[in-house]
Amino acid sequence: MTTSPDSASEASRAFDRLHPGVRRWIWEQGWHDLRDAQEAAVAPLLDGDADVLISAATASGKTEAAFLPICSVLASAEPGPGISALYVAPLKALINDQDERLEGLCGGLGIAVHPWHGDVPGSRKARVLARPSGILLITPESLEALFVLRGTRVAALFADLRYVVIDELHSFIGIERGAQLQSLLHRLELAVRRRVPRVGLSATLGDMAAAAEFLRPRGGDGVRMITSASEGQELRLQVRGYVQRRPVPGEERPAPDQTSAVAAHLFRTLRGSDNLVFANARSKVEELTDRLSRLSERQGVPNEFVPHHGALSKEIREDVEARLKDRSRPVTAVCTSTLEMGIDIGSVTSVAQVGAPNSVAALRQRLGRAGRRGGAAVLRVYVTEQEVTGDTAPQDRLRAQLVQTIAVVNLLLDRWCEPPDAGGLHLSTLIQQCLSLIAQHGGVTPAEAYRTLCGKGPFHHVDQRMFAALLRDLGAARMVRQEGDGLLLHDEEGERLVNHHSFYAAFDSPVEFRLVGDGRQLGTLAPVAPPVPGSLMIFAGRRWKIVAVDERSRTIELTASSGGRPPDFTGAGATVHDRVRREMRRVYESPETPVYLDATAQELLAEARADYRMLRLHESPILAWGGDTLVFPFRGDPVMTALGLALHLDGLRFEQSGIALCLSGVSPDDLLARLRELVMSAPPDAHDLAALAPGKTIDRHDPLLGEALQTAAYAARRLDVPGAWQTLKALTAAGGGSSPSGR
Amino acid sequence: MSTAARIRPRERDALLQSLRAGVVPRLGQHHVQVGRAAELRALLGDIERIADGGSAIRLVVGEYGAGKTFFLHLVRNVAMEKRLVTAHADLNPDRRLHATGGQARGLYAELMRNLATRAKPDGGAMQSVVERFVSTALTEAGTAGADPARIIRDRLAELAQMTGGYDFAEVVGAYWRGHDLGDEQLKASAVRWLRGEYGTRTEARQALGVRTIIDDGNVYDHLKLMARFVRLAGFDGLLLCVDELVNLYKLASSQARNSNYEQILRILNDVLQGSAGHLGFVFGGTPETLTDTRRGLYSYAALQSRLAENSFASDGLVDLSGPVVRLTSLTQEDMYVLLMKVRNVYAAGDPAAHLVPDEALMEFMRHCSQRVGDAYFRTPRSTVKAFCDLLAILEQNPGADWRGLLGGVALAPESNPDLAPLDDPGQDDGQDSDDDLAGFRL
Repeated sequence: MTTSPDSASEASRAFDRLHPGVRRWIWEQGWHDLRDAQEAAVAPLLDGDADVLISAATASGKTEAAFLPICSVLASAEPGPGISALYVAPLKALINDQDERLEGLCGGLGIAVHPWHGDVPGSRKARVLARPSGILLITPESLEALFVLRGTRVAALFADLRYVVIDELHSFIGIERGAQLQSLLHRLELAVRRRVPRVGLSATLGDMAAAAEFLRPRGGDGVRMITSASEGQELRLQVRGYVQRRPVPGEERPAPDQTSAVAAHLFRTLRGSDNLVFANARSKVEELTDRLSRLSERQGVPNEFVPHHGALSKEIREDVEARLKDRSRPVTAVCTSTLEMGIDIGSVTSVAQVGAPNSVAALRQRLGRAGRRGGAAVLRVYVTEQEVTGDTAPQDRLRAQLVQTIAVVNLLLDRWCEPPDAGGLHLSTLIQQCLSLIAQHGGVTPAEAYRTLCGKGPFHHVDQRMFAALLRDLGAARMVRQEGDGLLLHDEEGERLVNHHSFYAAFDSPVEFRLVGDGRQLGTLAPVAPPVPGSLMIFAGRRWKIVAVDERSRTIELTASSGGRPPDFTGAGATVHDRVRREMRRVYESPETPVYLDATAQELLAEARADYRMLRLHESPILAWGGDTLVFPFRGDPVMTALGLALHLDGLRFEQSGIALCLSGVSPDDLLARLRELVMSAPPDAHDLAALAPGKTIDRHDPLLGEALQTAAYAARRLDVPGAWQTLKALTAAGGGSSPSGR
Repeated sequence: MSTAARIRPRERDALLQSLRAGVVPRLGQHHVQVGRAAELRALLGDIERIADGGSAIRLVVGEYGAGKTFFLHLVRNVAMEKRLVTAHADLNPDRRLHATGGQARGLYAELMRNLATRAKPDGGAMQSVVERFVSTALTEAGTAGADPARIIRDRLAELAQMTGGYDFAEVVGAYWRGHDLGDEQLKASAVRWLRGEYGTRTEARQALGVRTIIDDGNVYDHLKLMARFVRLAGFDGLLLCVDELVNLYKLASSQARNSNYEQILRILNDVLQGSAGHLGFVFGGTPETLTDTRRGLYSYAALQSRLAENSFASDGLVDLSGPVVRLTSLTQEDMYVLLMKVRNVYAAGDPAAHLVPDEALMEFMRHCSQRVGDAYFRTPRSTVKAFCDLLAILEQNPGADWRGLLGGVALAPESNPDLAPLDDPGQDDGQDSDDDLAGFRL
């Protein structure tokens, strides 16, 4: 079928092994040959005895690579009662899409295809339950609902299960939703009493071994990898820079607002097609949608821009979701990253990112939404930097926002991606899975729950002591209760939680704190660095000192603090990986200018590099600014936080502002002396550091945990003490000479 | 004690087989029955009331392994002796009193599968009950010289007046037609309908010409119809034993739980008001199932006031006239007697053939109590099973000494087989340390 005789025999062998009906379908499509991944997948999938990971660029036929052989097997086998293949996808829209595609292939083979998610009518689900067969397309949340609501029927429903296909595998790695999916697949295998081959479909990532390990926890070595060599989809990318002029005191007209400029560009380029716009904060989402809808109004055109974030009221959110679902009119959703999983909109024309992206994984994920079906993926990033004046903070002079964007994009182009959080305990999801397991079996004993979920299950980082502590916390929160014979059942609160449909989702918007400054409500914030009382924090362009933190009412009490003008960009509400910060340093120190920057962005980058040299950061990472001392370790947030907390333990007041650690009331020389002392001592225990930090609830069910477990989870996820000590060594070695003032 | 009585080999083998498998024996329970005389008497009274045209409901409440299931089986056997038709089923998530997803029909079908009479004590007696209805009608027609079809129509008229009774009567009529015309297919369809095995109305209409089937909404009505029907067939009444009430208590959805409790309330009201004749219910459940005010039967206020136990019945005083019968745990002495009886069964009732001396029984109990703590006499099931295993070894290896074997007796805690880990060679870490959580308490 191809020109080369060698591969022709290879190809025809793979092709010939397929079911005649499948071959006919391929002919009908007018395909001249199978793509390389499709060919390579035939043998291992027909044998059906190993897990397979197929990685290829978007729109290179991954779905067919999995389903051509799977349908061959299903078409030639006697259809037993029960679902034969399970397909799990992160989005409802994707399921609807795949339903249509598979219908064409499976219709001729007599294999039933059933989509199953929140929008599928109950009558259709009832039909599947009455006569389960063929391929079930489902979201992780709906699979969870099956376990909770029909726990006893799961085994019968999946009695004939031969394959589990996970689409967009990369979008699950390292997050709570991924932990939930792993747990569900494990429970599914327990229910059918055998291992079922898993097939992962993924974009090409740098570290495929991590993806294999995710696909089959503690069995990643046995996963067969199939990587497509074919060129992926075209990526069209632009990073646009904007400069916000500072209002000059005494000047009549305020400086033109750059958000309007961004909105105007979005309006011009995005109107008339389906798009996603991501902003890093809710307030930004509101601001942008407001500007965009006013632009529409002024020009007398229908508004196509809808906001979507966790704080929207239910009515508005439902309206927005209905609007997104109705694909007859173009629509652009403006949303925060936190709820992006909840935005069930299929492929879009382009993706825009306002503000610096936090992680490569998130950016890749968003990009994956754009231009499916072969079209080019279009990404626009809008970065607004402040005009540099005499009192501009070094972080802003360094254009940290732009440089972080460049670093993330560079890593994306290098096909690197943040590895999954291996040490993550995922206690929030473990709580959900415990409650779900209880619902499935009508009660479980603690030992059974431990063995199922932790000992042999996906949460193997959790030991028995920790699990017992977790159950006690759940008992104290009236989530579970124990019967005389040791059986765990739901208690009042647990019942309320499980009986509500929102229980099935593991993801949720992160816990936000209300900020109250001198008696006035300032706004809300999900802090990256822990709000330790006594330390400083920047909000709304001012510097504040943290007076008290009330976990229960989620309030941080602040009082205005003196100090120079604080930096504008202080991170974007999520942890930044070590590799991204290192890449940022490389961007500062390298001379090359990326081609994807527009003219303004190029100018900004040149300014940033000039300032970097002027501040002599390439020589010494410690510099004085105002009365404070700034430290630029260029390390990830877990290292920065551990370092900050260790210094706090040492009696220093710290504040983490983006790429710099700001220490007040200490000179660079004094600081260096103290760092030298500190590096000689033994590193503190991560638990002790974590215990200092209030506000450790990050994920949905974290508030149910007791202090000890919150500390343990926080230490495992957000603190890197060895990294911090390594950084300390580097800082004390590099910061030999006293550094010049930033002014 | 009837230790001197010989036990027939068939009975002995069946009994031992059940005991070793950890299930309640179907035959010869009286050979291993211990205590519970007063409770049994109370239930005997119920059975007589049912036979007299009354109705009864009992909640047999006891801890896990206290012998609820055993007691229920004993009651069933007595009822069959008294010419009642009995049926029994365990509740589970797929078999409930009230449901919308076919689970209530599942319970009905299970009960009807286990329909038993004295002649057919092992269940599956539906066909013979219907057959008997027809044959008594034929006999009556023969003696009175009347048309059998008319006799049957007259009798069915009584059923047709009850809720849902018209189609019930139609189906029994169809059986009679099948009987009359020699149409085996029609007879089988009618029995299938009565057992609640038709899933759709269309199927039932094609086979029998009736417009309804037994489904979730009318299960209780059909149980009442069935009680009246067995009466017409010449039996004295219907006794339904529904075990594992704890499975309603374990339902995760509070709504599902409450609608099941509401169904129990409906039954309770009907029975206590006497509006359901010749019908009795015996439920088995754990104490929490009854008294827990958050998710037990007591969480349903109307049930709590009706089921509240006599507050004077405490400190050893009993009142067995209320609907709740509490089974206390077996005492050490009861356990000793039980082991003696098991030994006696093993010897087929011949004291000379006892495999171990009395001393061994004491030693066995001490061993178990050291191994499992005092829980062993709260769960006779596993203890009796282990004891049977021990006797089996001694019987087949005449040279073996019971003292040497005693150390090898292991009592495994019961666990959910669905959650057992899949075989995973080379991954046995963490398995041995399960003990930490085995005794976990909140």
